[in-house]
Amino acid sequence: MSLVLSNLTKQFNDFTAVDDINIEVPRGSMYGFLGGNGAGKTTTFRMLLGLLVPTAGDITYDGAKIGYDMTDKIGYLPEERGLHPKLQVDEQIQYLARLKGMKKQEIDRQLDFWLEEFEVPENKQKRIEKLSKGNQQKIQLIASIIHEPELIILDEPFSGLDPVNVEILKKAVKELNRNGATILFSTHRMDHVEELCEELCILNKGRQVVSGNIDDIKADFGQKELIIEGKHDISFLKEFPGVLEMKQNRNKSVIKIAEEKYAEDIFHEIVKLGYFKRFQVNEPSLNDIFIAKVGRQYE
Amino acid sequence: MNKFLTTFRHTYLSKVKAKSFIITTIIVMLLIILAGNFNKIMNLFDGSEEIGTVEVEASDAFTEQFSEVLSRMSGEMSVVESDGDIVITVNETVPVSAVVESEFNINAAQQAEIEIALEDMNRMMVMETLDLSEEEAALMMAEVSVDYETSVSPAEGEVEVEAGAEPNYLNVVIFYITVFVMFFIVINYASQIGTEIAMEKSSRVIEMIVSSVSPVNHLFAKILAIICVSLTQLFFFVVTIIAVIYLVDIGELISEFGLEANDRTVPMIIYSLIFLLLGLVLYLSVSALLGSFVSRMEDLQQALLPVTMMSLGGMYLGMFNLFDPGNLLVRITSYFPFFTPFVMPLRVLDPDTSHVTVLIGIIVVLITIGIAVYFAARIYKGSILSTDQGIIKNIRKFNKGE
Repeated sequence: MSLVLSNLTKQFNDFTAVDDINIEVPRGSMYGFLGGNGAGKTTTFRMLLGLLVPTAGDITYDGAKIGYDMTDKIGYLPEERGLHPKLQVDEQIQYLARLKGMKKQEIDRQLDFWLEEFEVPENKQKRIEKLSKGNQQKIQLIASIIHEPELIILDEPFSGLDPVNVEILKKAVKELNRNGATILFSTHRMDHVEELCEELCILNKGRQVVSGNIDDIKADFGQKELIIEGKHDISFLKEFPGVLEMKQNRNKSVIKIAEEKYAEDIFHEIVKLGYFKRFQVNEPSLNDIFIAKVGRQYE
Repeated sequence: MNKFLTTFRHTYLSKVKAKSFIITTIIVMLLIILAGNFNKIMNLFDGSEEIGTVEVEASDAFTEQFSEVLSRMSGEMSVVESDGDIVITVNETVPVSAVVESEFNINAAQQAEIEIALEDMNRMMVMETLDLSEEEAALMMAEVSVDYETSVSPAEGEVEVEAGAEPNYLNVVIFYITVFVMFFIVINYASQIGTEIAMEKSSRVIEMIVSSVSPVNHLFAKILAIICVSLTQLFFFVVTIIAVIYLVDIGELISEFGLEANDRTVPMIIYSLIFLLLGLVLYLSVSALLGSFVSRMEDLQQALLPVTMMSLGGMYLGMFNLFDPGNLLVRITSYFPFFTPFVMPLRVLDPDTSHVTVLIGIIVVLITIGIAVYFAARIYKGSILSTDQGIIKNIRKFNKGE
């Protein structure tokens, strides 16, 4: 069983923020929502949590509709960060964790663990408003995962953090996933999705551009990237069948080909010229897929 | 329910433990204690001393009679032949004149007693001089009786003010305290509940909260918590008042101001408490409603302006009509829900107000509370994730349930 979104649509007056999304998030997976600004990621999450009522469509978790009876199993980090500025970190976490049905001692124990994990144990008694933005974000992430939820929804969890902290948070997210939590997160950073997710959904202007297992998506996408390095002139390949695009930089050429089979033809053609230092076929990057799918739709 | 209690507890404890709460509570408690000891404090600043003995320099006959008059009037002062605290030298003419010599200031009460005793002596001497009998003297002292007969009859339903019907000052004091306390708490806590709600919205923490607990549940827990905080404060005030009444001998103070209970005192106290409670619930619910319109703290005061104006208006209506509780303005405004909690207790002062009238007032307020709470819940649900800035725009939008 899993989280299923079917025909999910949300309209604000005449504006369609989310348009007919159909996805299935398998239990225990790490699912990435990829999209630029205004793609509909936050709106989708808010509908998931019941904060917004969908115009059409259904959302089910384990076959049941998500309601306030199951919020203890869900952890949510909103995109718009915010905590009670006047409260101390421990007071804030106590309050938010109790709302998730936790007991005082347990909260205290977990809080110590996570503060240690995020390398900020000294902040326990500090007021939220005294913390830096990054540290506030860590505290908020703790608030959303402290009750060991089954389903964790993180809206842009890494935005606004320095690279060191991004790594700390990524590590924690991976750990949570290894322990069995289903994690759904949104980002506009392709590299994060590539690194963390098995499954993803690319959104553009509320529409679902592509979704599913990353490897399948890459395989289905067809296009490959071919890198050739050598001293011979291979500019004639521009006109070769199956070549979509070619960039040359001194001895190195990066060629986009429509399918992997064209690589073989190219290989046979260039070995006739002699020695080449490198001949490599790469899987397409998400960036390529995103630009190909979204870029084309823009035009 | 559990989550309701969590939010309730969190809000209640954080408010009660706040410095501002503790300080204002202590200040008002001290003021109550000060007020209870008003006469003692006044005496403290009064540099005069008590006189025990009075030496009189006059004829023996005068001295003897004066001694009698004075002892009838005051138990504290007695006439002695020598070594008195003060010396009164009397010139036995008609009218009597006297010089009082003392080494300290004589307090006002004893001064008055001495003067009255001398006046009595003077009266007796005049009677003697003119050779008047007791009856003749009594006739001179008699009060004139005047009856005013007006041909205009009171309009139907209008309260006829009985000649000599004075308001009961104790009841007036109860009313005064109720209205003042209600105004104080409403002004203080309206902004607190508005701040609570607007702060959660503007700091965006609300999105985390409502992903755990339903917005309506959260809102009601907050309103109830703030009402309980205000009642906690009220409780401390009432305990202090009761303590002052029992520990400090307040009877003297009360009689000094001429305060006496009558048959309307008990209903007055009960109705005052009911309207105090209703007033708090009404105003705090409306403040929560108004607080949920704003998304920035800067707009909060503007949004709460209606609450300030209404409570101010209600208080002034009550205060200005304190000694005319039956007039038309009072009767009309006592049914306007936002003024009812302030004005209706005033009408209870008036012996011609029936219990039915007061009951209607209570029902009007209850219905208004219901409406306010309904709209607060409805609007709050729609507005928590909105950051639109126009208040009017927000009201229109959320009321459509978007």
